Amino acid sequence: MIGKLLEIRDLDVIIHGRKLVDSISFALAPGETVALIGESGSGKSMTASAIMGLLPPGITMAARSAIVFDGKPLDPADETAMRPLRGRDISVVFQDPMSCLNPFMTAGAQIDEALRRLGHGDGTKRRARILELLQLVEMSDPATIASRYPHELSGGQQQRVMTAMALAAEPKLLIADEPTSALDATVQAEILALLRRLQDRLGNAMLFITHDLAAASQLADQIVVMHKGRCVEQGPTAEVLLSPKDPYTRMLVSTRTMLAELPATAPRSSAEPLLAISGLQYEYPAKRLFSKPFRAVDGISIAIAPGETLGILGESGSGKSTLAKLIIGLARPGGGDIALFGESLAARNFRLTPAMRKRCQIIFQNPYGALNPRLTIEKAMREPLELLGLSGPDDRAKLGSALADVNLTPDYLGRYPHQLSGGQRQRVCIARALLSEPSLLICDEIVSALDATVQMQVLRTLKALQQKRGFAMLFIGHDIEIVRWVSDRIAVMHRGKVVEQGEAGALVTHPVEAYTRKLVAAMPRPIA
Amino acid sequence: MSAPPIAVSAPRSAGRRWPVGVLLATVAVAIVALAGLVAPWLTANSPLDQDLLAINKGPSADYWLGTDHLGRDIWARLLYGARFTFGISIAGTAIAFAIGAGLGLFALALGRWSEATLYAGIDLIRALPGTLLALLLIVGLGSGTGPLIVALGISFAPLVAYVARAAFHREAVRDYVHAATSFSGGRIHVLVRHILPNIVGALVTQAAIILPRCIVTESVLSFLGVGSSPDAPTWGRMIADSSRFIERAPHAIVIPVLALVVLTLSLSVLGNDLRRWLDPVRENAGEAAEPAEIDPQLAMPR
Amino acid sequence: MDRLASVLFAVLRGLVQAACIVALTFFLCRVMPGDVVDVLGLEGGLTADQQVEMRRALGLDQPLLSQFVTWVSHALQGDFGRSLRFDQPVSDMLANALPVTLRFAFLSFAFGVGLALLLAIAATAFRSRWLDGLIDGINIWSIAVPTFCAGFAAILIFSIWLGWLPVIGGLLMPVIIIGLDNAGQIVKSLREELKEAVMLPHVRTARAKGLSPWRIAIAHVLPAAAPIMLALSGLALGGLVAGSLTMEVLFALPGIGSLTLNAIHGRDYPIILAAVTVIAVALVLINTVIDILHRLIDPRLA
Repeated sequence: MIGKLLEIRDLDVIIHGRKLVDSISFALAPGETVALIGESGSGKSMTASAIMGLLPPGITMAARSAIVFDGKPLDPADETAMRPLRGRDISVVFQDPMSCLNPFMTAGAQIDEALRRLGHGDGTKRRARILELLQLVEMSDPATIASRYPHELSGGQQQRVMTAMALAAEPKLLIADEPTSALDATVQAEILALLRRLQDRLGNAMLFITHDLAAASQLADQIVVMHKGRCVEQGPTAEVLLSPKDPYTRMLVSTRTMLAELPATAPRSSAEPLLAISGLQYEYPAKRLFSKPFRAVDGISIAIAPGETLGILGESGSGKSTLAKLIIGLARPGGGDIALFGESLAARNFRLTPAMRKRCQIIFQNPYGALNPRLTIEKAMREPLELLGLSGPDDRAKLGSALADVNLTPDYLGRYPHQLSGGQRQRVCIARALLSEPSLLICDEIVSALDATVQMQVLRTLKALQQKRGFAMLFIGHDIEIVRWVSDRIAVMHRGKVVEQGEAGALVTHPVEAYTRKLVAAMPRPIA
Repeated sequence: MSAPPIAVSAPRSAGRRWPVGVLLATVAVAIVALAGLVAPWLTANSPLDQDLLAINKGPSADYWLGTDHLGRDIWARLLYGARFTFGISIAGTAIAFAIGAGLGLFALALGRWSEATLYAGIDLIRALPGTLLALLLIVGLGSGTGPLIVALGISFAPLVAYVARAAFHREAVRDYVHAATSFSGGRIHVLVRHILPNIVGALVTQAAIILPRCIVTESVLSFLGVGSSPDAPTWGRMIADSSRFIERAPHAIVIPVLALVVLTLSLSVLGNDLRRWLDPVRENAGEAAEPAEIDPQLAMPR
Repeated sequence: MDRLASVLFAVLRGLVQAACIVALTFFLCRVMPGDVVDVLGLEGGLTADQQVEMRRALGLDQPLLSQFVTWVSHALQGDFGRSLRFDQPVSDMLANALPVTLRFAFLSFAFGVGLALLLAIAATAFRSRWLDGLIDGINIWSIAVPTFCAGFAAILIFSIWLGWLPVIGGLLMPVIIIGLDNAGQIVKSLREELKEAVMLPHVRTARAKGLSPWRIAIAHVLPAAAPIMLALSGLALGGLVAGSLTMEVLFALPGIGSLTLNAIHGRDYPIILAAVTVIAVALVLINTVIDILHRLIDPRLA
């Protein structure tokens, strides 16, 4: 294969005789972009680590596998042979730039370290190159950025510094390992566009590793779809996404297209709102002496009618999860009022009565944390029955039918949480929250810890239940498409304030506020 | 739609082997405990009787392990010493546990202010090393077995209190605590149903780690002359008593030293093993939403 | 400004800590059954009148609080009173003893922490099972073997049987024993910390940049482990105090440790108080320096 920059043949990555990556083969031409797509545990990041020679200790590449870079075979285990290539011919940008940058060194010093290693002249020359690189990644004030420590930079700025560092030697191959997954949607879009422009300018090839089909469709010429360590399908981007042949790829693609078909909406009544929040405020106390308290919720007013779904859309730090905690009394607001089922909570010092708790339930983001590891599913589900006084002789039947509602069989009752997958645990949490037949369900980022295919299964189950039971929902999320799919109306939160709210369809198609427009612009286009 | 295949992770206890070290340690601790319990059946001699005609003698038919500088039977002292060594340190550990975990959890359960007050108090004497604190306490409380136990207990209590706080904080910010609150579970319910079962392992492990340290500290105090009283001779006291005769009667020192080291060694091995049993690093613990960001007292039901 | 404030806060907390320890010691000394007059009365046969007279002269008939205030106001001027048994200014006795203890403590600390660092870094760098085994061994040794037992063993083997070293006075044996003990207490946590540090994402970034192993170790791994190293060094200090007590008694070193212990046995409370004050101030001082260093190293704490 002449003219290929990187060629991978029958790549097996093995730990204790078990294959994490199984017979992966693909090739990458100079200047080309290949996207490795897969959900968590698909082996896509292991493939990248093998190419860089950065496999964790104990994990090895099989003898039959071959990684050929620029005509020469690579041996990931050979540290002395790999080291000269790293940062010079092959560079990498990792996920989660906050933990991937050294917290003890300034951004400039970390880029300088890469330059020094490349033998890049004396101090003044390197200094000029640092500023040049920071300009290349489109930073407005390179000198200031260079003097900052990572924790003083925003997530987007951190990832730009990582990118500048990776491009210091103008490598032939840039591996981008989920470079935007840890970032907010608007920042994600900026970084993706930046990677594209940089590639046009520098002509590097790119191996783009992601779980996000839309992002892959924006950047990649070729797509390799991975599932449980194997490659299930590969080919040109448009071909794979528009006419997927493998069932798994089809499912992946359909989770995106499913978002385009909205679910049937439950009938909404114009009766008195179940929940009416007015001018709500909350401040986190100062963490250290002499520092200011942080205002997480700053004068929020929203209302939810019976049967309605209100989406709260916001990026990290917007205060949306704090809002959920305030409503169910996990924290006491500093000002404003919450009227729950027509009763003012301020009048009762924001303590909910058991009768209110029965009618207002919450589901949390992290399904691993929401179930006590020492209780079986049955014991965990009995807890609300006992505490809310719903316990009766037919408890077991009640739990069984609650599980059936979320497509789980009654034999799950005897299991412990660690025996369940993330999606199953979240289903159990939904079933548990619905046991008291609440009229208002608060969903705090309930699918963001799950893989895309599982996300849609859980959401579909939830929406079907809502259709059947007619409860209202406060659906908190950061993914504009998912929030749009679930909600009737949307309130957009930014820095503790609601910047815009309205009918879901209208808000997404005709955003008014600048911030909402930015969010909508960052929304992934329909694929291919 | 069929449920996806279940991801069953192997139970922690499956395939567990008994390493040789743990086995030996268990046997050693069992022997010492048994010896202490049935001491009167294993020797006819008293640990306190002095035979001034047989001072610093080597092993003989009358005195299986010889005698010390006052002609006391070392074998008898070793057996009864097991009783006192074990008894005093277990009592000391129990007091440390009662004060540290009891007071600590009480303060933690009451709320932010009681927590802050108690732990500020503990922090203030933290700079004082345990041995010195125990020494000073004995100065104040007077000598004797009772004060010794209390001093040991108090000097180790802060360690337990810190472990209790760390474990409490780790658990209080978990979503299942929030969930229980949202089902209108109160502080007591959350504490009893969710927090205690999840931290008891860490506390028991800490007690098991403190026990051998208690034995060591008692022996150090004995060596410094403020340990167990003469009528309740521990192994530490045996070593201390014979220290001036190390040249003439080395066996009077070597025997209790060996016994002491074997016991503390075995107990530490068991303590470490217990940690793996009772306080394993929780899987997926890293996926909890940055516990450091949440104030644990804020997370508890009001 | 924030950094300065946090440093000031650390200093302030140190001062309060030291003050609390001194107050605690003062009151413990005063509640101890039998004061020096009683002891002298028993020993030297002072008449009842002489005892009353002596108490008045020493200010022992005053209320506790006013005694404390008097003592503090004198101590702040460097006057710790006179020894009750040796009729010397306590400050002179401290001045004589301090260099002995400081030299011993410094050597043991340097040896212990140095050894621990060396072993932990070497085990991490070479991923050596053999070194990990050694680290486990030293760790268990320090938990299970009281330092004075190791001291007896050393005296017995090297001085008595082999006749190599002088039994008393020499610093070599006590420094090695306490250093090993210190190293054992911290080396395992240090190794664990480094093991985690080399797996940190930013260390992986450094490897991906193609940096040399040395550069990665010095600029990326060690800084990440530095806060824990500092904290552990502080922990080792506590062991040093207990070590000074036992080793100075065992090897007859005329330092603060033996001074304190003799004072405790003789109820010579001005010396107890002064010695504990010196120890507490030294510990708090070093812990405060460690705290401040930590704040200075980590830019995130500024």
